[in-house]
Amino acid sequence: MIDNGLLVQMLLGALLGLSVYLPLATGQLSLATPAFYAVGGTLAALLSTRWSALGATADGGFPLASLLLELVLGGLLAGGLALLVGRPVLRLRGIYLAIATIALVEIVRVAILNLPFTGGAIGIFSIPQPFTDASGYLVTALALLALAGWLCQRLEAMPLGRAMAAIRDDELAAGCMGIDTTRVKLIAFVLSAVVAGSSGALAAHFLNTWNARQGSFDVSVTLLAFVILGGSRTWLGPVLGGLVLTALPELLRPVGDVRLVLFGLVILLGPVLVPQGLITPALLERLGGWSWRGTLRTPSAPQSNPSEEPS
Amino acid sequence: MIEALLQTLLNGAASGGVYALVALGYTLVFSVLGVINFAQGALFSIGGYLTFLLMGGKIGVNGALPGWGLPAGLPFALALLLAAAGSGLAGLLVERVAFAPLRRRRAEPLLALITSLGAGVVLVNLLQILMGAEGYAFPQGADALGGLPDALVIAGARIRTIQLLLLLVSAAAVLALTLWLERSKGGQALRAVAEDATTAQLLGIHSEAMVRLAFFVSGALAGLGGGLIGVSVSLPGPYFGIGYGLKGLAVLVLGGLGSVPGAIAGGLLMGLAEALVPSEASGWRDALAFAILFAVLLLRPSGLLGRRVVDKV
Repeated sequence: MIDNGLLVQMLLGALLGLSVYLPLATGQLSLATPAFYAVGGTLAALLSTRWSALGATADGGFPLASLLLELVLGGLLAGGLALLVGRPVLRLRGIYLAIATIALVEIVRVAILNLPFTGGAIGIFSIPQPFTDASGYLVTALALLALAGWLCQRLEAMPLGRAMAAIRDDELAAGCMGIDTTRVKLIAFVLSAVVAGSSGALAAHFLNTWNARQGSFDVSVTLLAFVILGGSRTWLGPVLGGLVLTALPELLRPVGDVRLVLFGLVILLGPVLVPQGLITPALLERLGGWSWRGTLRTPSAPQSNPSEEPS
Repeated sequence: MIEALLQTLLNGAASGGVYALVALGYTLVFSVLGVINFAQGALFSIGGYLTFLLMGGKIGVNGALPGWGLPAGLPFALALLLAAAGSGLAGLLVERVAFAPLRRRRAEPLLALITSLGAGVVLVNLLQILMGAEGYAFPQGADALGGLPDALVIAGARIRTIQLLLLLVSAAAVLALTLWLERSKGGQALRAVAEDATTAQLLGIHSEAMVRLAFFVSGALAGLGGGLIGVSVSLPGPYFGIGYGLKGLAVLVLGGLGSVPGAIAGGLLMGLAEALVPSEASGWRDALAFAILFAVLLLRPSGLLGRRVVDKV
């Protein structure tokens, strides 16, 4: 039932979940991930089909090194865009920030639909394939997810990650403590864009075709569901949410059209039934013995109960 | 030349009127609860499909009940009113499932954004299961509009009656809403709750009832817009309301969150701006609303007519 193709989709879902999680870890609800995903994917689709120096062969093959280059370039372009729009946008908070990022997603979607070189509604197709079957994509996506996960894990132990958590809990207090809140939020936003851009570049090759629909408002909603279900207090939450909720519609395919209704129900009921998501720091604590437990505490820290959530 | 301009302006004002309806729906809920009901676009779709069914339309082959429909169609005006009431009831349902549970738990208000999105996704997909994904066209001509001619000639310009009707009905709805909010007991009570729910409650206003009223009226406004757009253009599929919902959001921010005159002015401004986009660039028209939204958020986050809100610490 779960084949390699579905596994790749699940891993991409987990990566995009991480991309939504990163700004949320600073308390900022950004729905911009699909815009960055679309930018990365479009770049990869354009480069691999138009730029012969990357080495696409006549029978649709593609060198692995070029794919890796595209992953980097997709991440850089998306990160650059985030840097550009992030500074003004991140002055906004709450609903305003959410609406501004929806606007960004729509502007990017309409631009990709209408630019003369992105193929209009049909998009770009016959994107060359670096692998002969899905298992190659599986390894690449797994590597990408491991890299992004390692980054999030490292963040928790670094001053940057602690600053992010401080801003999430109380932005004003964090500012008073001398944290440059704008800068930290901007870094989280750019990191989120880099993850989304690289994922888009990989997805473009995996899907073989790329069009404006890949980065629409619907996708924002879907990704939000990943984080809501999985939980936004640890990076493992969105990863789990992305894996499960990407697989769920496929596994429910026999049920037919009802699967989208069930999907909506998750978003509707999740915040009420599992307000913190499935994976919480308290749960990880209880599982015990995990390496990340230690990174949250310093020896000098007083005995605090991590399961106590600031409301 | 003048005729073309007149037509363009009327088209712009007509769609602007519908944007204003959607934005007013957001405004009502926002002023009472301080949150945005993201299911508004789904309620818009429901209004369009209800109007279609009430006017005697039959469900297509991909629907759950192919060929089913009312034995006799209602006249347009009655169908539109009933459809608006139906969307209002759907709005009440959204309040009950997406907003009330979070309010009872005093949860983070931003979560309502997520639950209402979920409610919208559920509603739109239920609509899709019932009606199928295909488009529906309303009956055209004199019958559809209750005996009115299909087009009028004003100052030498030929204008579709439905466009004029669109403008008149949304203007009437906006006027009625404003009068109701300003003059009636119910409207004053609603504004009191919007100002300060606790104090209003102490003064004997049943604030929960006012919240439900806001959701009903807000849903009815969206349903009205959906019905009008359906008759004027067509129903391209259950998702068509989502686009209008997002545009309404842009109008809301343009006018200023929570401001009634702002929502009206913003709607008209947005409609006219879109109508003035030259036809060679029509593909970019959908981005205009969001480009304006983006610019407003960055330059004047309180909107054109909004109050500046200072965060209390």
